[in-house]
Amino acid sequence: MSPVLQSPVLQSPGADHYSSLSWGAGNPPSGSVGSPPIWKKVLYEHQPFPDNYVDDRFLEELRKNIYVRRYHYWAVVFEAGVVIQQLCSVCVFSVIWWYMDQDLLSPQKLCGVGLALTLLGYLLFDAVDQGEGRRDSGRTHWADLKSALVFVAFTYGFSPVLKTLTESISTDTIYAMSVLMLLGHLVFFDYGANAAVVSSTLSINMAIFASVCLASRLPRSLHAFAMVTFAIQIFALWPSLQRKLRANTPWTYISVTFFFAIFAMAGLLSISSVGALLFFLLLLSVAFLCPYCLIRLQLFKDNIHGPWDEAEIKEDLSRFLD
Amino acid sequence: MGTKEFLDAHGEKITLHQEAHSVSCREFSVVCPKLSVRSVTSCTCAVWLAAYAIFAYTQNTLVLSAAIICTICGLLLYLHFMKIDQESLLLIGSLGIQLTTSFASGKESTVFIEMCRVKDVVINEAFFMQKVVYYLCILLKDPTDPKEISEIVPVFQSSKPRMDCLTDVYRSCQEILSVKSHNVATMD
Amino acid sequence: MVYRRHCSCTNPYSSATCDCHATPRFHSICMVSDFFYPNVGGVESHIYQLSQCLIERGHKVIIVTHAYGDRKGIRYLTNGLKVYYLPLKVMYNQSTATTLLHSLPLLRFIFVRERVSVIHSHSSFSAMAHDALFHAKTMGLHTVFTDHSLFGFADVSSVLTNKLLTVSLCDTNHIICVSYTSKENTVLRAALNPEIVSVIPNAIDPTDFTPDPKIRDRSRITVVVVSRLVYRKGIDLLGGIIPEMCQRYPNLHFIIGGEGPKRIILEEVRERYQLHDRVRLLGALEHQQVRNVLVQGDIFLNTSLTEAFCMAIVEGASCGLQVVSTRVGGIPEVLPENFIILCKPSVKSLCSGLEQAINRLLAGELLSPETIHRTVSTFYTWRDVAERTEKVCVYNRVAQEVVLPMDQRLERLVRHCGVVTGCIFALFAIVSFLLLNFLRWMTPDSSIDIAVNATGPNGAWLRQYSTERKHELTRKRDPDACKEPSDLSAEH
Repeated sequence: MSPVLQSPVLQSPGADHYSSLSWGAGNPPSGSVGSPPIWKKVLYEHQPFPDNYVDDRFLEELRKNIYVRRYHYWAVVFEAGVVIQQLCSVCVFSVIWWYMDQDLLSPQKLCGVGLALTLLGYLLFDAVDQGEGRRDSGRTHWADLKSALVFVAFTYGFSPVLKTLTESISTDTIYAMSVLMLLGHLVFFDYGANAAVVSSTLSINMAIFASVCLASRLPRSLHAFAMVTFAIQIFALWPSLQRKLRANTPWTYISVTFFFAIFAMAGLLSISSVGALLFFLLLLSVAFLCPYCLIRLQLFKDNIHGPWDEAEIKEDLSRFLD
Repeated sequence: MGTKEFLDAHGEKITLHQEAHSVSCREFSVVCPKLSVRSVTSCTCAVWLAAYAIFAYTQNTLVLSAAIICTICGLLLYLHFMKIDQESLLLIGSLGIQLTTSFASGKESTVFIEMCRVKDVVINEAFFMQKVVYYLCILLKDPTDPKEISEIVPVFQSSKPRMDCLTDVYRSCQEILSVKSHNVATMD
Repeated sequence: MVYRRHCSCTNPYSSATCDCHATPRFHSICMVSDFFYPNVGGVESHIYQLSQCLIERGHKVIIVTHAYGDRKGIRYLTNGLKVYYLPLKVMYNQSTATTLLHSLPLLRFIFVRERVSVIHSHSSFSAMAHDALFHAKTMGLHTVFTDHSLFGFADVSSVLTNKLLTVSLCDTNHIICVSYTSKENTVLRAALNPEIVSVIPNAIDPTDFTPDPKIRDRSRITVVVVSRLVYRKGIDLLGGIIPEMCQRYPNLHFIIGGEGPKRIILEEVRERYQLHDRVRLLGALEHQQVRNVLVQGDIFLNTSLTEAFCMAIVEGASCGLQVVSTRVGGIPEVLPENFIILCKPSVKSLCSGLEQAINRLLAGELLSPETIHRTVSTFYTWRDVAERTEKVCVYNRVAQEVVLPMDQRLERLVRHCGVVTGCIFALFAIVSFLLLNFLRWMTPDSSIDIAVNATGPNGAWLRQYSTERKHELTRKRDPDACKEPSDLSAEH
């Protein structure tokens, strides 16, 4: 005999009527026992309720939006500064290339200005956090100088090769590739988000690749050298200085971003006014419209949590294996 | 014994001839519908029309001759290797089972199974294309272990008669097989 | 046409057993799932045991699953349980690929020849189960679905699967969940009316899991873990618990049964802390070996991170072990408080739970294994599950319900699942309806042989056992019963 049949509830004479009971929600069957039985959320007891009974306590452990972050508008705008900076970097790079291509800017001038700004930035880099970062990393000025010299020497030595590297490829392909690579640079850049697509190495490699492609279309090999050096300065050195500025002196960072954006737009304006207008609208929407949308869309967030969620292991379990 | 009409798994008519040569010897033959002139004509016409359309487009007479040769060869091969007119099962209680397949061209292929190898005749079911069909099959004994089955030989493979027809054949077969096994038992 | 769409409450095939206005006493049930033996797991044994108990109660049950390697065709299991192993391609994790249409011809053929009245699909991970539900609704059959798993709402993949579940369940007649937590989860995922969702727990066979305290080693404390070694079972936590507890209790031993990708973690821990003599990894266990492993232990540890209904802890408790488990999913509903120590899913909490169990064990405060077994064995039995599935709610109720006709079904899809998804699947429903009509024209229902009932009322299997099987007379009178119930799977 199965244990079910031994259970008192199903053996009672009223047991049969549970099967013929109306399947309405929230009315526990009454009348079989003195006081109405109370439903319990357990499976091991045979309860005097139909199997599809819905209690008032149904879904009482449901929680909504418990991990939602509250955003403040201006904080989001501040964070959007990184995107603005990167868009402007790409814009400035393209504008400089155009000037070089049209022979409006001599490579000597670009190298000179670049060198001066790099030195200024280098001094700032240490000054901003009073040399704390340098002490932590333990890197000497001598090491920096060495790697800079090696890089410059190599680029200068290889610039004739760079110049002729892509001769067999059509110019349209080069432009398309550069645009693609610069877009890729923007997509994979580390804006501070913790996502799978972020890869700063890939991002910087794409930017350098784009600069090599574009440099190969310039008139002389000195142009190519100046272009690649400039790409390193604007895509590798400039973001790391920015990061430091942002962490230590937010107000300086805001003004730097602002002036950099003005500079980029002015440069673009000298080439194409429509382009400058579009770029201005782009910056405006990234800086102000997107944060607004983000905050508005937060209101529609409907994230459900409950006992059915897979538990997360919060501890660091690798310590047991070290 | 007689002739009955049944349907096969595709819904076509087939006829089952049963003949009792003696008490322990019976022959069953399933006759498939003949190749109809209409289907042959329509097939050939379709191929020729297609060939003519290609010819009109390419202006290459090779297409036409190729189509004619193809249809003739195809018809011959189909009649010789594919189209089966009749499948028969001859069961002789003391001797064995003979399976004969006659093709439309007159070609016949015959398989003979000795009685000592036959374990049983059963109806089984299997997936066939997008269908599940019943089929009659002969179970062969494993020579090393008479309790085990080593092979299954399906019967009436191409005509695929339906359950009612199979049941008839099955019953008659079992009558002979049971007499035989009974004899074996008494001899032991 | 013998077999056609019907919207009345009567069953079209079993009119012989149907007593006029009432629902038929016996149903013809088709269980569909991608997961069945020879695959081993909770869903597989659920389907098998439920089918056996339903056969015992006089219903006709067939199972449809996909082919497992060499195992294809039609097979019979114990008591004439007929299993169709369909030749469909396996996509991922033993689940078949789905186009929502390609399986229609075969499934329709099977449903027609077996005169199926209720389609019971299992597991939301099984594509074939959803396909069968979809086709059954097109054919106007009653549908029941059992959900065996929990699913989150947070990431993109769960958003997509939940949408598909909504589509699949929006016109299903009844849904069964294995615990109340699972019911809440399914109701939220598929946006269902909670009244068409029943809670019927899983069960175990208590006679398979009997305690044997003599086997226990009194000189040591043994903790048993039996689970697949995968992330969802919290094996990473186990890798933290083992060194912690082994440092605290020198006579503590672990026996771990199961196989999986996380085995490497346990092996590393064993290597790193030199616990080769105290941590035994048994590898994959056969179902019948599980009991012999369980009875060697004093404490059963379960570290799952998510669980709809944990059969492992019921098995452990049935063997008389004190259970220590994480408090996740439906686990708190499964055993009463005096049989289980519930912990948070963290190493610290599980260690203190184990400590509590060990202290009780050393103080002799634990209930005796026989007491635990006797109590637990009354909680969950397959007979009870089958009875509830059949009588108390589902099949009898479903058989009275109306299967939505095509127009209402389309309307329901569009209204219930959102406009875009609804329209896409409504289109699929129309295509499948047209395909079904084409198939009916190609192979009319009348030209499909009705399969011989192995189980159910007048089942050949039962009659066969009541008479001598090899008897000549039986063969003459009842030839169909002599079909070979063996592993013949000829596909040609």
